Amino acid sequence: MSDLLIIGAGLSGLMAAYTAVKAGLRVNVVSKGLGSMHWSAGTVDLLGYSPAQPQTAVKRPLEQIPALIEANPHHPYALLSNEHLAQTLATFVALSKDLGVPYGGAANPGDNLLLPSPAGAARPTYLAPKGQLAGDLSRSEPMLIVGFTGMRDFYPELIAENLTKLGYPARAAFLPLKLITQRHDSNTVQLAQGLDNKEQRALLGAALRKLVRPGERIGLPAILGMDAHMTLLAELERETNSLVFEIPTLPPSVPGVRLFKSLRRYLQEQGVRLTAGIEVITANLTAPNGVPGAVQWVESATSARPLKLRADKYLLATGGILGGGFNSDMHGRVWETIFNLPLTMPQDRANWFEPGFLATQGHPVFNGGVTVNQHFQPVTENGQLLYGNLWAAGNLLAQSDAILERSTEGTAIATGVAAAQALSS
Amino acid sequence: MFTKSWHSVGPSLDECIKCNICTSYCPVSAVTDLFPGPKYVGPQAQRFRENGQPQTPDHSVDYCSGCRVCNEVCPTGVKIAELNARARAQIMAEEGIPLRNRLLGRNETLGKIGSIAPGLANFGLHNSFSRVMAEKVMGIAREAPLPHWSTEGTFGDWVKKTQAVRLKSAKKVVYYHGCATMYYEPFIGKAAVAVFEHNGYEVLVPPQNCCGLPLLSNGEFDAATDYHQNNVNKLLVYAQAGLDIVGTSTSCTLTLKEEAPELLDFDTEQAKAITMATWDIFEWLRERHDHGELKTDFREINMVLPYHAPCQYRAHRVGKPAMDILTLIPGIDLRESQARCCGIAGTYGYKKEKYQIAMDVGAELFNFVADQGEAVEMTACDSETCRWQLEHGTDLPSRHPIEILAAAYGLYDLDKRDLINS
Repeated sequence: MSDLLIIGAGLSGLMAAYTAVKAGLRVNVVSKGLGSMHWSAGTVDLLGYSPAQPQTAVKRPLEQIPALIEANPHHPYALLSNEHLAQTLATFVALSKDLGVPYGGAANPGDNLLLPSPAGAARPTYLAPKGQLAGDLSRSEPMLIVGFTGMRDFYPELIAENLTKLGYPARAAFLPLKLITQRHDSNTVQLAQGLDNKEQRALLGAALRKLVRPGERIGLPAILGMDAHMTLLAELERETNSLVFEIPTLPPSVPGVRLFKSLRRYLQEQGVRLTAGIEVITANLTAPNGVPGAVQWVESATSARPLKLRADKYLLATGGILGGGFNSDMHGRVWETIFNLPLTMPQDRANWFEPGFLATQGHPVFNGGVTVNQHFQPVTENGQLLYGNLWAAGNLLAQSDAILERSTEGTAIATGVAAAQALSS
Repeated sequence: MFTKSWHSVGPSLDECIKCNICTSYCPVSAVTDLFPGPKYVGPQAQRFRENGQPQTPDHSVDYCSGCRVCNEVCPTGVKIAELNARARAQIMAEEGIPLRNRLLGRNETLGKIGSIAPGLANFGLHNSFSRVMAEKVMGIAREAPLPHWSTEGTFGDWVKKTQAVRLKSAKKVVYYHGCATMYYEPFIGKAAVAVFEHNGYEVLVPPQNCCGLPLLSNGEFDAATDYHQNNVNKLLVYAQAGLDIVGTSTSCTLTLKEEAPELLDFDTEQAKAITMATWDIFEWLRERHDHGELKTDFREINMVLPYHAPCQYRAHRVGKPAMDILTLIPGIDLRESQARCCGIAGTYGYKKEKYQIAMDVGAELFNFVADQGEAVEMTACDSETCRWQLEHGTDLPSRHPIEILAAAYGLYDLDKRDLINS
């Protein structure tokens, strides 16, 4: 029996677990599989674009958020004061140092970073792992983007050309993939693990030294080591006498995997139980007339009969459509898969999407989700509390389109931490 | 072939979002180029195998060990390991099954034959000449940790011999021992019986067959179908009477519950009844404990015990019940392994071309055990082949958690591997 059962092992679930275990709760985390952090860039996007001005990257997100809330008083960020929001991010930065994957922000505190994307676009984000910071496009050093011949899904010429067009001087170069792996075929995680090897690291350093011109900084695909990442980064910078940065790749994204693995290890050391492969399928609920009900237990699928999972309190952090917290049918009905919580998105398919794929105002279906009260507890359309021992956090919350806003991780951290604080107090 | 249940396993491939998380966690593709990874040979290649496709595109699927780590980490619920098992069976059906695979798949027959003269059989199998010959002729790796036949009779012999002194009770449970307990490790069954009886249960040991898993993982689906049908026939009456069927081999119980019905299209009420009646022993004990029915009159056991929940156990998706129960024993310092797989994966690591892969996969676990320090005298794991691999890779004895529990009740000697008053 645990005090708190968290359903979902994405960034919001794990940050909630961190907060709750620090508050002295016995915490159990279950997840259907491993997810969102493995396909994120590993950065913390707080607010990259404001729906009011979708064409212009936000420069100072914390200062922009009050205006965002004024325009949309039900935005998840409105559940926290600006100071509280900043505090949750500071908590994350401090934790990241303890995890051995330190995060930082722009040179000018409070600014968004502007980092090169794998397509060579400029991507606003608030915090990034140390290994990505030197890619900030507010820096002036020209860039050498290095790829590996035969490596899928990383195109240095495309990146360099697009960056140059945007006014950030960059050139491309290739090294043979054989330099860093003897394998015929590897994905990014395997390549990163290969670079944990000391001899392999030395070979890469020596080759880069020959390529780089004085004054350049070097951008590489985000495969610079898994466990030995920080060591390798320091070695390469020393060897080449240049700044070195990673550019995130297509999934699996190594910076996200590093954060996930270190966070999971840390939580396990704190006594949190984390189990993947557990899909919660239904809940047993009491809801006497007019009075908020309670979650008695939830049930997960097993190889035979469903397994009952019990706790005093439950936190739903299963994510939205991509995370698997919602499901839909061909007619356009969208539902929350465990508690069948009311969702705010249009329940017919014709109204899910705007006509344009890249519609600047976003698509209504992505803006919908679970409505919670100020204590992060799911409520009905009329604002009535549904279950006394159920909380919700992360990207399943309604009234924010994280794809449009570039606010995925900011929402996850802020609401994950704050929901766990609310339920612990 | 498999038309009906392509429908249940097959469509899950459409859930694949190509995120590659499975490949990132696959312990086999991490150590060898010969296996390109679950995504490629699973949902990706599956599209080329559908509906009478003239050629099977990718033989690398045979390097899938079936550990199911891919299923465990998949965020969208693709049944990758099952897709692979079926693809292997399809290749075997089209191209024929090697003698070695036929042999390794027939655990029950091997057990029976060896048990006629176990001393001789052990000598015959476990001398270096035979092992070299077995490797050269059949491709069974000479270093692989093959089991020894019990020289003190089978578990069945012991049940018969001790029938008069066995507990009679209104509370009954059916014990599914599996082949390893029957022929190689009868002491596991003795420990289980002792624990059941200590908790007031009469133990029924009805006739039963191999669960068929070795055949499933060696691609011989027809023979596995017969085994599962026999088990359904033999055990159905107990399931219908409301009795729990409890096993000590976690891969056997997984096969009875889910793998056999799912892979072999057993879409019958009878098979469903067996699924719902079957429990792994610690899953069952935890259920008793949750209802306040498990005795906790434990003696202190002072030891550091590295525990590895085998991948086959995690595939039950019931958490780690052995951890939950062993934690109750005073004095025990349990160390939970996070290793993905010990590498052996049933009969996978026995094969000459796969032996080194299995050892490389297992290194993660062996290193974990070594990291627990000098005080470690033994390890614990719920699956027999994993224990043999653990012993092979660490040079430390390995015990089933039920042996630890029986010892904590004061019923079992962990060094002699026997009941204290037998």
